[in-house]
Amino acid sequence: MKRQELGLNIIKYVALFIILLFLLFPLYWVLMTSFKTNMEAYRSVPTFIPAEPTVQSYINLFTKNNDFFVYYKNNFIVSGATALITTVLAILSGYALSRFHFRWNAWVTAALLSSQMFPVVSRMISLYDLMNKMHLINTHPGLIFALTAAMLPFTVMLMSSFFDGVPREVEEAAYVDGASRLQVLWRIVTPLVKPGMLAVAIYAFLMTWDDYLHAVTLIQNDALRTMSAGVAMRYLGELSYDWSLINTISIVGTVPMLILFFFFQKYMVKGLVAGAVKG
Amino acid sequence: MPIAKTDRKPPRVLLDKKRGDQLFSAILILPTLLVTTIFILVPVIDSVIKSFLEFKVRNIISGKPGEWNNFENYIRLFNGGKLLPAIVTTLTFVVGVVLIQFILGMTLALILNSNVKCARFIRSIMMMPWVVPTIISALIWMWIFQPQYGLLKYIVGVLTGGAVSDFAILNDPGTALVGVAIAALWKQIPLTTLLLLSGLQNVPDDMLEAATIDGASRTKKFFAIVIPYMKSVISIVVSMAIIENFKQFPLIWTMTGGGPNESTTTLAILSYREAFVSNNLGSGAAVTTIWMLLMIVVIFLYNKIFPKEDMS
Amino acid sequence: MKKYMKLTAAALAAAMALSLTACGGGAGSSGSTATDSGSAATSATGEEAALGGEEVTIKFANYALLESGYTEFWEGVKTGFEEKYPNITIEWVTAPYGEIVNQVINQAGGGDMPDMMFGESTWVPTLVDAGLAIPVSEVFDEEYLNKFDQNALESCMMDGEVCGLPMYDCAFMLFYNKDLFEQAGLDPNTPPTTYDEMLEMAEKLSQLTTADGNKVYAFGQTTSSVAISGSALNSMIFNFGGTVLDENGQLSIDNQGFKDAITMLKTLDEKGYNPQNAKLKDLRQLFATGQLAMYYDQSWGFNGVTTINPDAANFAASAMPLKGGDGDGASMLSGQILLYMDNGDAQREACRLLTEYMLTEDVLGDYIRNITPAYPVIEDMKDMELNPVLEGARDATQNAVNSPSIPMLNDLNLELCTLAQNVTVGGADVDTAIEDFRSAAQNYVA
Repeated sequence: MKRQELGLNIIKYVALFIILLFLLFPLYWVLMTSFKTNMEAYRSVPTFIPAEPTVQSYINLFTKNNDFFVYYKNNFIVSGATALITTVLAILSGYALSRFHFRWNAWVTAALLSSQMFPVVSRMISLYDLMNKMHLINTHPGLIFALTAAMLPFTVMLMSSFFDGVPREVEEAAYVDGASRLQVLWRIVTPLVKPGMLAVAIYAFLMTWDDYLHAVTLIQNDALRTMSAGVAMRYLGELSYDWSLINTISIVGTVPMLILFFFFQKYMVKGLVAGAVKG
Repeated sequence: MPIAKTDRKPPRVLLDKKRGDQLFSAILILPTLLVTTIFILVPVIDSVIKSFLEFKVRNIISGKPGEWNNFENYIRLFNGGKLLPAIVTTLTFVVGVVLIQFILGMTLALILNSNVKCARFIRSIMMMPWVVPTIISALIWMWIFQPQYGLLKYIVGVLTGGAVSDFAILNDPGTALVGVAIAALWKQIPLTTLLLLSGLQNVPDDMLEAATIDGASRTKKFFAIVIPYMKSVISIVVSMAIIENFKQFPLIWTMTGGGPNESTTTLAILSYREAFVSNNLGSGAAVTTIWMLLMIVVIFLYNKIFPKEDMS
Repeated sequence: MKKYMKLTAAALAAAMALSLTACGGGAGSSGSTATDSGSAATSATGEEAALGGEEVTIKFANYALLESGYTEFWEGVKTGFEEKYPNITIEWVTAPYGEIVNQVINQAGGGDMPDMMFGESTWVPTLVDAGLAIPVSEVFDEEYLNKFDQNALESCMMDGEVCGLPMYDCAFMLFYNKDLFEQAGLDPNTPPTTYDEMLEMAEKLSQLTTADGNKVYAFGQTTSSVAISGSALNSMIFNFGGTVLDENGQLSIDNQGFKDAITMLKTLDEKGYNPQNAKLKDLRQLFATGQLAMYYDQSWGFNGVTTINPDAANFAASAMPLKGGDGDGASMLSGQILLYMDNGDAQREACRLLTEYMLTEDVLGDYIRNITPAYPVIEDMKDMELNPVLEGARDATQNAVNSPSIPMLNDLNLELCTLAQNVTVGGADVDTAIEDFRSAAQNYVA
């Protein structure tokens, strides 16, 4: 019995090790490559720790290839604004769906769920035309609206699950005191779902940070591009690859997201679970 | 009737309250509905309409509306010989990735749920790939898969004792899809694990203990207690994974562009290429329409085969 | 309940769409920012008089600004030109190489059409078909156009009109590594002239390894799925005397040359001489790091080689494209060109001035000698000194042919790549692959 236990434990830790290796080693590898020179990166027998570590590609990124930071800044603007708008809209609709049960709720839910399913390319073909007519093409507001629309389905469900967790008695007491519906929502209920707001905002931020297709199609001005689009277009040039630079970009492009995640992971994890189960 | 008369008043107040609620609720929902409709539902409908039209980039520039072309886009697609392989590739990709993702995610979740050392710490660092932007995960794996200097080529070379010295997973039509799938799994396994883990934590301990006392084996406990308890979480995780991988675009586009020899051309790639590379928007829209139909069928079948109770 | 909702979702969406599709139309956003050009008192030349001294902004779509190595030249052009013509401002519209055509098309769709564009001769069909590029005769007089190499002008021909002005050109040519030739015991000054000679040399070259143990590929021909690879493959078919299209733009692949070229691709792959599924930039990287002995590229590809390895000029040399089968080694002409769009007389006139300013040895000479190695196409520059690496293929442009332009050239080129991949990594036999190509390509020719 004891022996079997031990064997099982060994298998368990070996499996854990292999899966973690798969998940984490690539990040280590990219980090290491970013500290190599191009010539060292191109060795056929790779070095697992840089033989001659250099921060040259970081210096290059900050000095020569600093368009990257324009994309970076744009991405912060776009993702930040999207997160903000999404959160506000998600609070409104989430509350409505959670508290008031009308027949149209089912339809709204259906509309949201179905729009989550549609592939992005399918709407890009028409969105371009549509945005053009609304004079929103090639603008950050246009991109922000499109992304907000993409974020809403999941975040509304998520928000409404948080509202579900707020006991009704709190509101009823406020109504008795003569508070209006809006007052109840803003002053009484919303403060109680702060964790939910954080989860929604961070989720929206992370997901829009990842956007590629919207930005590629709707933004053509290099000065307005966001990171994924900018990186794919600019640093995967036709003439040649610069792998050290690409690896450096990968690191610099990921680190803020990691910090954000580790900082807020308590809310994120709770939110993701709640949102997924509800959606 | 007097009783009825007195009875009439309270409902009226209720009705007013109800009407007020209705209005309030509608106002709250309206912005969301508007944004979703304008930026998602209308474009989707519009693209379905465009799929029946001769609509090319020229039409956008000149502002000329598209012309009905007797299903030409669809006929050309079916005769072109690219649609069917793309459907097969898409389904292969979805089924493969979802299956492996579930198995590995479940394994990791079970391990993390079994009093392993530093489980909390591991749970938090294993989420790292999920946070990495998709484009960057594509670049990370392209670098590992690089045909001449890539790490994988070296490892395969060492493992086979030098017999395979030019392993380039993305250059071989037989393995390119696997290469992309590895990158997809890398990014998606963390979230799957997290959700499954939260499901596992909801399985009541006393039931498991009771089963242990009854002498049930591990496997038996897993299939008789754990799985039924997690049914809804599993069903959600899997359907999320199906949707996500059905839609997968940036990863494939960056890593292979659909090649080599069309071996990674999924419906996403095909539609993007038709619409934005060949500049034939009508034809691209036809591909996405077929794609959406296929997705609806798959999700429908999935819900039919694995019905889930309503969680809300 | 939920699956029911999902099913009804589409119907619901349709209902809502009906009420909302009527979104107002309107003229596109014309975001032309009229940058101030100082507007200092100018020495009014006759040319400026033509513009009436009016402030003009040229919107110039140019991917090269994003490619390291090109940026300085183009910024220099802007500075120099704006100095000479203070009333004209150049405003860049940029996107990467692979996206710029879409960008220009999309932007034009939004009512914000650029005035001018830097591109390649293979882009002419797409841009003409989109209703954007106009014939150069609407911008320049005949006298000016007569100064150009006629073959080069013809490479920009679409529907009988020349719709792009070549800045410089080249043919797909052979680059080879003299050091590797020496190491393999070959004479570094006699490159192969035919495919048979090449295969013989390749046998020796493929035995080599680099200092750190990497494999040396003998011969590189790009086959990856990008349009430019299709042009390279088309050029290789020309090497064998074959054709893809006849002069009416109809598919014409039942010739020995076509088949020979495809067979050669298979042979190269089976012997492991050609890096599989490579883009031109992959080949450049391999060539730059001494892992590729010979490869086909456009002359300006050498810029990509030197950005990876600045010493490449010491070992690199060029040679005439190889002769194969009954062919005489003709290859395909490709030029980097300027395209013009119609935004009215003042803009056109400004574009003309800019073009005439650029296409002189003073401005362009250093660029095509040292930065983007290429051959001049305009009479005034015929005698300029070339980049030494290009000497070996000097006559290749004279022996080059133009491919007939069809609107869907891009797609046809991509199909050629698929064909090449089919016989190499796909392992199909030549005849089957050609038949697959035929049925796919039929969709793209008129």
